[in-house]
Amino acid sequence: MLKKTLLLIFLVFSVFLFSQENDSLIFLENQNPFLDFKLTGNDIPNDGGGGIQINWCFPDSLGNWFLTVLRRDDSNNLMVVATDLLVSSMQVRDVSSEEEPSRVKDNTNYYYTGILSQNMINEQFLNKLISNGSEYLKNGTYIFGNDTFYITGETEAIVSKSSWFNLSRIPVLVSLIIIAFVFLYYLNLAKSGKDLYIRKINGLDAVEEAVGRSTEMGKPIMYILGIGYVTDIPTIAGLTILGRVAKKVADYETRILVPSYDPVVMTTAQEVVKEAFTEAGRPDLYNKNDIMYITQDQFGYAAGVDGMMMREKPGAVFLQGLFFAESLILAETGHSIGAIQISGTTETAQLPFFVAACDYTLIGEEMMAASVYLQKEPMMLGSIAAEDLLKVFIMFLIIIGFVLSVLGYGFKIEVLKSVFDWLINLLQV
Amino acid sequence: MLKGKGIPIFITFLVGMIMIVSFFIPHKPFGDIEKISLNWYSIIAGFTMLLGVDSLIGMHFRKVKRKDENWFFSLVLIFGFVATVVVGIIETVRFGTAFDDKSYFTYIYNYFIVPLQTTMFSLLAFFIASAAYRAFRARNFDATLLLITAIIVMLGRVPLGEQISPYLPKFTEWIMQVPQMAAKRGIGLGISLGALGVSIRIILGIERSYLS
Amino acid sequence: MAISTNIWIWIAALLTLAIYSFLYKDNPFYKFAEYLLVGISIGYGISVYWHNTIITKVFNPLVYDKNFLVLIPLILGLLMFSRFFKNVAYLSRIPIAFVVGAGTGLSVPSSFEFLFKQIYATMPLKLDVGSLIIVVGVISTLVYFFFSLEHKGFVGKVSKVGITFIMVAFGAAFGYTIMARVSLFIGRIQFLLSDWLGIIK
Repeated sequence: MLKKTLLLIFLVFSVFLFSQENDSLIFLENQNPFLDFKLTGNDIPNDGGGGIQINWCFPDSLGNWFLTVLRRDDSNNLMVVATDLLVSSMQVRDVSSEEEPSRVKDNTNYYYTGILSQNMINEQFLNKLISNGSEYLKNGTYIFGNDTFYITGETEAIVSKSSWFNLSRIPVLVSLIIIAFVFLYYLNLAKSGKDLYIRKINGLDAVEEAVGRSTEMGKPIMYILGIGYVTDIPTIAGLTILGRVAKKVADYETRILVPSYDPVVMTTAQEVVKEAFTEAGRPDLYNKNDIMYITQDQFGYAAGVDGMMMREKPGAVFLQGLFFAESLILAETGHSIGAIQISGTTETAQLPFFVAACDYTLIGEEMMAASVYLQKEPMMLGSIAAEDLLKVFIMFLIIIGFVLSVLGYGFKIEVLKSVFDWLINLLQV
Repeated sequence: MLKGKGIPIFITFLVGMIMIVSFFIPHKPFGDIEKISLNWYSIIAGFTMLLGVDSLIGMHFRKVKRKDENWFFSLVLIFGFVATVVVGIIETVRFGTAFDDKSYFTYIYNYFIVPLQTTMFSLLAFFIASAAYRAFRARNFDATLLLITAIIVMLGRVPLGEQISPYLPKFTEWIMQVPQMAAKRGIGLGISLGALGVSIRIILGIERSYLS
Repeated sequence: MAISTNIWIWIAALLTLAIYSFLYKDNPFYKFAEYLLVGISIGYGISVYWHNTIITKVFNPLVYDKNFLVLIPLILGLLMFSRFFKNVAYLSRIPIAFVVGAGTGLSVPSSFEFLFKQIYATMPLKLDVGSLIIVVGVISTLVYFFFSLEHKGFVGKVSKVGITFIMVAFGAAFGYTIMARVSLFIGRIQFLLSDWLGIIK
């Protein structure tokens, strides 16, 4: 009996021992067949700090292996940067983010270590390693259960820094300075009284007619600014055109309705119309309630404006601003009530619908230049001339690029090939 | 002095310049300036929303009071607004957030707003047909070109096109990749130059119609 | 399957039909749906603004994070209310000037990035007829947007080529969208026939 009991105790004990054995770490220091596999790291350049990039090269045999990257700071705090990366991905970034704003602190030393494994990393092993502390994170091999993990050497101290200037944006800075000079040159030219020409823009010559005809029929004008915000340039351009149109409306002593999608756009539109009416000498005609808010819901806005069109029956409808899918809903309804429609947007996906459904459409840049066209002040015309000069420059650049490519790659002239490559590189911002 | 345009124009200039300069400076606080300013815009818009609601509800309230034409529908609008806000408040108290799956606020969104929105959106199927018909009747060179390309591309993207000719889908692909792309880039270049023009006119205070 | 007994489905279905009635003409059913959508969506919008802006972007940062930078947009936002009082209404220009400045300022570098991208994409990275056509198309389209030259003679001819490219592009975009819009309509019909009436599965 006693024997049996002893035997049983022994058995249980050995099973217990064995399972312990299976769970424990065996560490073989400095025994690592992949000594060549090393991590390197550097601060991510041209960023606002909080970012380190870790790179590695790998022999083909490790292509399908996994890599887990850990990091230590000077106070030996350990952190898992990423688990189970494919070795073939060759890099990982350790960066602060919205969720973890102080994950990587600037001007702090970080040391990175990698764990190579043929299978995905074992959570238990990882926890054990981290709880053991950084001194166990030495170059060598761990055997844990049936898995083997190879620890790479630690990188040198890597420090994340915040840059004061983004060097990769130098081409943009240089062209910004050039363009600023071009604009200033033309603005000065305009100031000195040189006559500047602007070509005919079809839709804009029709503004007078549209407002006039509406007035004759005793109908209001409707001006739709689309669903952009005041931070969107097309909306701002639409607001500047609104100023010119509203002035004509005041001259004709008629009404202008501006249903708005964004409350800030609404208040700005109120300012624009009020100013235009005052300039035209008719501040008495300005009615704040004609520039009203509808809703910030895209199709709710479309439904509301459609309904308003059906009931107020404007004689002229202007659609100037940022439009998306609602563009055609509005333009077709405007057409169905027989209004003269002058549209304009920068959204190339919506322009076809405006072209099909409206009497006149201002395409892209035409819309941005419209406020200048409607009020031909010298300074404004100067800015348009500057835009044109830049167009010529861009055309030359494209033609030069084409010729270089043909001669360099077509006729295999090595020098031109490298000039072309340099140009391409420059354009990649 | 505050009543004039001077201070607002200076504010526009200053803010505009800070935005431009910060593009080149990744260091804090310049690096985050775009994010911060968009955040600020939404805060300002949030407050301005009350002006919007005042504008809209005020208008319909007056219509109901004056018994204008369609005053009943104005009442429907006001009712819809008030009911949604009230349900929102009640459900916030009940669930902690009005956006809970089981809240009636979510039901309003799913069974009122969503069907109305998607149905408005789907009206485009009819409007696109009537717009195409109009282009068909216009009989000028531009409209004809537009329509022919539209028909080719439409057919090239449906199984029927493949049956008409196996080259049709390939030709459609070519139209999208070559002439379409060329014009799109040209328009895009124009737009960025135009946007630069608008921005510079406003930042330098040459265009000031947005201030009264 | 049978006709739905869910009151919410009925509401959604009747509202759907009310919107479609607009295709015939403006009528009381459409008006009802339209006004209701505007009213509900603005009520919904207010709640979203309250949650996303007032609580998340103003209250929490101010009270919990002690982020006093939020006071600036808060004050700018409050200045908008000056419009309610005639003698100080001009103060609302300050927030307007601020947002316009931010919008235009931000657009300058982003326009540049876009400009560079477009030029880069136009560069012929491989030599074929397509890249030549793209170069011709881009240049002639740009000529169409020339404002300080009269469009006659050579410039006129090139700009004609440009507008031809533009019309082909518009036609392509038009044709590309048709099927997507039709499928939206089919989606609504499916909702009516299956979720509501239970005629099809």
